[in-house]
Order: sequence, then C-alpha cells, then structure tokens
Amino acid sequence: MSAAPRTAEGRARDVREILRAARSLAARADRIVPEITKSTGLSPEGVHLALREHLELEATDDDISALVARAGDATRVHVVLSSSVFVGAVRALAIARAAAPHVTLRPSTRDPWFARALVEELGSSAVQVEDVRARDLAAGEIHVYGRDATIAAIRAEARRGVRVVGHGAGMGVAWVAADDDLAEAAEAVARDVVPFDQRGCLSPRLALVEGDDARAVAFAAALDLRLAAWEARVPRGVVGGDEVAERVRWLETMAIAGVVLAGPAHAVAVAAHGSPLTLAPVGRNMHIAPIAMANAAAQLAPLASAIVAVGANDSAVAARIGPPHARVSRLGHMQRPRLDGPVDRRDR
Amino acid sequence: MVPDPESDALHLRARAFVRAFEAGATMPEAFDRLACDLARFQAARVPGYAKLCRARSVDVGALARAGDAPAVPTEAFKMTRIATFPEDAAHVVFRTSGTTVGARGLHALRDAGTYDAAALAFGRWALMKGWKRPVPVLVLGPSPREAPDSSLTHMNALFVNELGEPAGERETYFLQEEILDVVALDERVVRAMTAGDAPVLLLATSFALVHLLDALDGAPFRLPTGSRVMQTGGFKGRSREIDGETLRRDVATALQVETREIVGEYGMTELGSQFYEATIASDDAAPWVYVEPPWARVVPVDPVTLAPVADGKIGLARIEDLTNVDSAFAVLAADRVRRVPGGFELLGRAPGAPPRGCSIAIDEILGR
Repeated sequence: MSAAPRTAEGRARDVREILRAARSLAARADRIVPEITKSTGLSPEGVHLALREHLELEATDDDISALVARAGDATRVHVVLSSSVFVGAVRALAIARAAAPHVTLRPSTRDPWFARALVEELGSSAVQVEDVRARDLAAGEIHVYGRDATIAAIRAEARRGVRVVGHGAGMGVAWVAADDDLAEAAEAVARDVVPFDQRGCLSPRLALVEGDDARAVAFAAALDLRLAAWEARVPRGVVGGDEVAERVRWLETMAIAGVVLAGPAHAVAVAAHGSPLTLAPVGRNMHIAPIAMANAAAQLAPLASAIVAVGANDSAVAARIGPPHARVSRLGHMQRPRLDGPVDRRDR
Repeated sequence: MVPDPESDALHLRARAFVRAFEAGATMPEAFDRLACDLARFQAARVPGYAKLCRARSVDVGALARAGDAPAVPTEAFKMTRIATFPEDAAHVVFRTSGTTVGARGLHALRDAGTYDAAALAFGRWALMKGWKRPVPVLVLGPSPREAPDSSLTHMNALFVNELGEPAGERETYFLQEEILDVVALDERVVRAMTAGDAPVLLLATSFALVHLLDALDGAPFRLPTGSRVMQTGGFKGRSREIDGETLRRDVATALQVETREIVGEYGMTELGSQFYEATIASDDAAPWVYVEPPWARVVPVDPVTLAPVADGKIGLARIEDLTNVDSAFAVLAADRVRRVPGGFELLGRAPGAPPRGCSIAIDEILGR
C-alpha cells in the first residue's frame, strides 16, 4: 500500500518541526556554544551572535508556504553539507523535509557538530544522519551545499533519474547610495560582515560606494571604526595560515593600488575610481570601490555568477545593479534572509 | 622613444649585466647596488610603490639590500598602472591573459631594448648551445600580428627574427585563432629535413603541445635530428591537463627528441627576465631545475611574513629582476618555488585558502 500523498500543510508542519528543534538547541546556547566554537573556529561571542541573530528560529506562514512551494517533491532527499555556515543546516533540512518524506544528511567533515545535534534534537525517523554515496542513491534528489567542484563531482557520480540540486559558494555585495548616511551605512555593513567571520555566501566582500574616491575613503574610515568596535564585542575567531597569507597578499596589492585601513582582525581597502572590481579575502575584510550608479551593473557583471546577495537601503536600486538571482535586503540585514526557500537562488 | 636621462642611465646599467654575461666577464657592479637604485627610482616615480614602501616602513633612501625592498604582487599590475613614465611614453605594452573578474594585468615598457637584449642573451644560452648558425624556429603560438600585446609572443618573435632562419609568418607561427595548423607545421618540418636534416627549435606552450599530441593521436611526428623544444606556461583551461613528466615523455616520443633537449621556460608578463632549465646549456644540469640569469634572482618567501625561507623549503616566488627598470624590480608571483642545488624548482601556483563556510574562494571565482 503506498503512502498517502503529503499535503502542503503536512510539509509545512514538518518544516516547523525543524524550527522547533533549532529553537530547542538555541535555548541551550550556553551548553552548545563550546562545541560549536570548537567545530567552527568562530569565537564564543561569534557563535552566540549567530545563534541569537542568524539562526532561523521563526518564520511566517507565508515564508513557509513559499519554501514548501519552492522545495518541489521528491521520494527522498539526501543533503550533503560540504561547506556552509553552521546555521545553514536548518534551512537545508527545512527545504529537504518540505520536499521529501525521507531525508538523510551528511554533515560537513570540517564542521559536523551543529547539523548532527539538530538531527538528534529533531528525533524523527524521517531525518537521519547518514553518509550515502551519490551512486548508491537509486531515486530522489541530492541537495549539495558546497564548492562548484564538489557539486560537479556529485553530479557526475549520481545515477540517472537522481536530481542533483547545487547550492554553491557565493558572496554578497553591499551598495552604499549617494544619500546614505556613511556612519549608519558603515555600522550596517559591519553588521553584515561580522557574522560567521564573513564565511557565509551572503557575507559582503565588496562594498560599492556611490560617489567619488573621497566618499569611498570616508566610508572606509567609518567602516574601519565600526569593525574595530565589533571586534571588541565579538572577536574574530581562528583564521587559518592560508587565509592569513591571502590577506597579506591582498593588503600588499591594495597598499599599492589604493588606500588600506587595517586593524589586527579586520581590514578595509579602497580602490581608486575605475579600478577593476575584486573581492576581499574572508575574515572581516572589505574591498571598497567608488562607483557611479550608471556603471554599477556593468562593472558587477563579471562577478554576477558569484553574487548571491545584494544589500542596499533601496531595494529597487539593489535589483538594478545586482544579477536577477541575487537576494536583496537592506544593509545590516544581508545575513538574515527570509526562510522562504534556498539562500542561493542561482540556477544550478 | 621619449628620452628620460634617469631611466636611460639605469637601463644602461642593466644592459651592462647582459653584455658581461654574453662576454663571460665579471658583472659590472653588485646586484644589490643596482637593485636598490631601481627601488629608489621606482619609489620616486610610482606612487603606489612609494605607498607600499611607507606601509612597510621601508626607507628606500637608506636601502642597502635588494631583499629589504618590498615586492609588488602580480595582482597589482591588474589593479593599477605600475610604471615610472606617462602612458604616452610607452613603447610596448604587454597584457596578461588573466581572468581576474575581467581585468588583465598590464606591463608597459618605455624602452624594450633591455628586455630584448636580456631575453636574447639568456635564450641563446639556454637553447642554442652548439648551434653556430641560425636554425628554423617554429612557434606553436600566435604571431605578433595576432597577439601584439603578449610578452611571450614578443619573445618568440625575437627568437624567430634574431636566432632563426628567415621565413614567412605562415611558415613560422602555427597557432592561428587557437587552431593548430599541423599541415603547415608538417610542411615546414619536411622542408627542414630535406634541406640537410638541420635541427629546428620549436617554441611551444604546454597547451599547444597537448593540442599537437591530440592531433597526432599517437602517430610519430619526427623532428630533424638534434631538434630542441622550449616549453612554457601551464594549460589555463585551454587543453586537457597532463602532468609535467608525462607531457615531456609524450612530446619526446612523438617528436623523437631527447628529453634533455626539451627545456622548460618560466616567465611572466610582469617580468623582463626569463628562467630556463639548463639541460641543454650544461651537461650536469638536473631536469626541472630552473636557472636565473645574473640580472635576476628568484627568492622563495614565506607567504605570511614575506621573509625568505631556508633553502629546500617551499615559498612564494619573489623575483628580483634588474631589467624591470621602469616598473617593479621586485615582483611577488603567485607561484610556489623551492631553492635546490643549481637553481630553483617550480611547483605550481599557490592554492588559495581552503574554504570554510560557503563564501566563495578567490581561486574559485578566477576559475569561472
């Protein structure tokens, strides 16, 4: 006898169960923070910040309906969390659970703790931690959260008839408009940079400042101050040797090509008007470019495939400069996307 | 060429190194002396370099050792103009083929004479030993007409014109619009063989050699006895990738040349100098070990401290090049190198930081 078809209400209920499990975990923050700190390399304050402000604990009925509608329908979903920020497990499981009655999850080897804890907290036989090889899955979907190469490898390995949905790595771009107050914008951008030490695909790595070089430098000075202030409250976590090397190289380059303001745990660099757009290395660093609105979309075009989120105080402007797939939010809210579907809206 | 007495004097001093090398004479002055003068000149003329020196608290006025002057990362050539002279005084402008979000690096030369003299002198040393007269020089690459801003094409053309037998463009350059003309190459090789089996010098990028192997599909394509191959560059996504040893063995087999007669060249748009394996120049030279000319140094440095690492340890290539008179005498490449007896090993591009989280890696964006 085949199981009754899952209704939209039933799927929404399953999504809410995942949010309940997340809330239950977050309520024990003091107990779980040491484990997550160890697992992620974030500072304890960074983990608290993520649990407090960036873990999806609530969602409106409309958002959950949208998530269910976008999730599609599958007999089962295997979730591969190869690389994502730790709170990403909630959304990944919510989407998978909305799509399928049976979900398996392979946590990241680098950062497995939170995803495992979430599944345990959920306590449902419908969601299990399991290391399923792509070629062993006979039907259903594989949702891969990882690098392009990981997605491609799993896609190559998956059997015919198994749909592989890729959620790739990406970046955010912040837009500081001509009429934005620079101090307020700097605080908002810092609020977007600090969570997860900029290792999220929504994290801005590039800020475009409408106006001339002087305005961009003024914004950089303000952001430098705000990042230093955040560092006092939420220290940056562990930064790997390779990440430090990337930062050193970027700082040497930008010392030549622009203006650099660097603290011990952050750096901002301003490129001169007309310089090619590039991105800062992760770890609370920001590349700032002065730009004219008329040129913004064209200058961003080479980066379009990497852009997942655009932050701007005017959503119409954000939609004009960013690629159509990008999530749009106000500055300061880039790391708090609605739970209405995947963060990454690129067609992959 | 627009005269510039200060730059001209430095060019003369750099060329004196080249002349001394060609004459087998002692170098005209200490490497560090000219290097420090170049650092002072460049800091005075290139605002970005002055800023870098200030940021690193380097007083170029008091500089006594080349190694104390900061090196310019290759990415800086993409972000800003690194030149001691105005744009309209450029004699040659080389551009990288890079993919950094649409930007190409730019290296402008006010006086290409120093580049040409150095390239010819060291190329002759590395490739031409024992050859008393010009040989056919065949290029698996585009002509200068097709790629006027490529430094490699410029160097290839120099070798064609100065070291090679006279020949037309179609008989010399066998890669047009990325398509390898094997038929034309075959005709030229046959002509060389029928004209006394004189050896040829084949200049090729690694990916062009892969295209040639693929086109031959296992069939032999014998070059005249004693022919040599200069192999340069990586694959850059323009062919399938083959590890270095395999490619060299397959090329040697297909073209029927000795593996020691296949010489790797290491150069880049941002430099005036090139480096070669010395297996032709010296019977004792080990393969895969690259050698510098006396006017350039390759120093492996720690990627975090940028200080030199011990011999035998791997570091990023900091390249000090006295022929880079009007740009940056010290360049920080993205390639990993290791000092070994006789020279240095080239170990490929430094990988970016391994990803943690889902923020995109710089390497990943470059690869798109």
